[in-house]
Amino acid sequence: MERETGSRREAVRQAAALWVVRLDDAACSAADRAAFEAWRDESHEHEAAFEREAVAWARLARLRAMRPSAEPLDRDLLAPERRPVLSRLGQSTWARGMAAAAVLALSVAGVTTFGGGTAYATAIGERRVVVLSDNSRIELNTDSKVVVRYRRGVREVRLVRGEAVFEAASDARPFVVRANDAVMQADGVSELAVRLGSDGAAVTVKRGVVALDPEPTEPKDELRLKAGVAAVYNATGSRARTISDGEIDRVLAWRQGAIALNGQSLDQAVAEFNRYNRQQVRIVDPAIAGLRLAGYFQTTEPRSFVDAVTSAFPVKASEDADGDIRLSRKG
Amino acid sequence: MMAQEDEDRRAWFRREILPLEPDLLAYARRFCRDGQTDPEDLVHEAFARAIACRTWREVGNPGAFATRILRNCALDALRRRKVLTITAVADFDRIEPLDEAPSAQAVIESREELRLLAEAIAELPTQCRRVFTLRKVYSLSPDEIAVRLGLSVSTVEKHLVKGLRYCSDKLGRRIGRKSKVDEGRSWSARRDHDAKR
Repeated sequence: MERETGSRREAVRQAAALWVVRLDDAACSAADRAAFEAWRDESHEHEAAFEREAVAWARLARLRAMRPSAEPLDRDLLAPERRPVLSRLGQSTWARGMAAAAVLALSVAGVTTFGGGTAYATAIGERRVVVLSDNSRIELNTDSKVVVRYRRGVREVRLVRGEAVFEAASDARPFVVRANDAVMQADGVSELAVRLGSDGAAVTVKRGVVALDPEPTEPKDELRLKAGVAAVYNATGSRARTISDGEIDRVLAWRQGAIALNGQSLDQAVAEFNRYNRQQVRIVDPAIAGLRLAGYFQTTEPRSFVDAVTSAFPVKASEDADGDIRLSRKG
Repeated sequence: MMAQEDEDRRAWFRREILPLEPDLLAYARRFCRDGQTDPEDLVHEAFARAIACRTWREVGNPGAFATRILRNCALDALRRRKVLTITAVADFDRIEPLDEAPSAQAVIESREELRLLAEAIAELPTQCRRVFTLRKVYSLSPDEIAVRLGLSVSTVEKHLVKGLRYCSDKLGRRIGRKSKVDEGRSWSARRDHDAKR
């Protein structure tokens, strides 16, 4: 829908530019002028767009000053100088933004070793990056736990609680992630995000290929998930779908300390915030639970999320005795 | 005389409102952080509303007038959406309406402008650039250009439209101005923006 308005704007500006070009031509007929007047009278949008292009056209007349005196006509007068313009490319705000991504300190707290495995855990509101002996990396989201067991023939990581991103480095041994009974095996260098559900998990593959076997005890087909595929499995079965880069960014926004909502309902959004904070948000009015919203928020700032909700919707917020935030309908 | 009145109104728009485009675009971007609306669309719509103003003679501060219109366009765009972006709604509480005129450098230095325009033409594809050079530097008519380059007149027109569209957008964005506005939607910029109220 929004994209259509963009192309509509462009269509109007193109039409305006064509009128500017035509009217400035001595060959322009009275009929052409009348047609132009009719077009301009159709809307103020046309009128304003015409003025914009006409002013630019008039300003371009200054180029006549560049005409060399008493020289034959040179149609390539304004050809670009042969000079590399690569230096400009390194300055994109995107590149800068990505470079500014949070660098997380490696921490050794919250590490426990037992029974041939090492456990890494995060508290509520905490994120942690763990670099393993083979240079594979695990990034743990809030309130999460993994147990790492590297053995001779296999590198195995179990997601016990919460959510994590696994970046498997290349190694002779297979890299296996276990989550709620399912087994995922990464092929070579790959990056996958896994989030536990109540009886299954959601898997998003960002790089490489991952073979997913939801029930290793059952002789069933495994799913091969390529980069850009998200899969969900639980007791009722599994399904996979291709997702856009934008959606992958939203799924992984927590790595930037953010929650990216894109049409989720208020109760889903609240559940998401509650994972990151001790101060919980509660919806006391089922009538408002289904409001759909989008936006980009800090995981640790439920207050600014609540402020945004109350200013956008007929919703009011109050704090109860134990400091939690209650959302109810206004009026 | 109606026609004269219309012409005066357009002249006012050309003189007072159009030169504000780079500033309005920078202002519009602050309402479009969620990517649901194109800031250029907001400015385009604001221009249409501004030029429609019959009481333009009473506008004492064109900058404040234009930014107020832009704000209304942003609010209307917000209301039209199927999914309400609460970040954008929050922005409305956060983004101050500008009461003073934006710092429109209405007149860029003439040598500077000439350089900018020449640069813009240099960035056009070869054939388009040649057509444009013959028209705007050497003042040849579209018919003469068509003969000289062995093109049809309508092709010459197409190249001229393409070149003009490129230049008018470039002038509207006025790249290389002092005021540095975040051109992209980098995560870090959005983070900083969202971080504190």
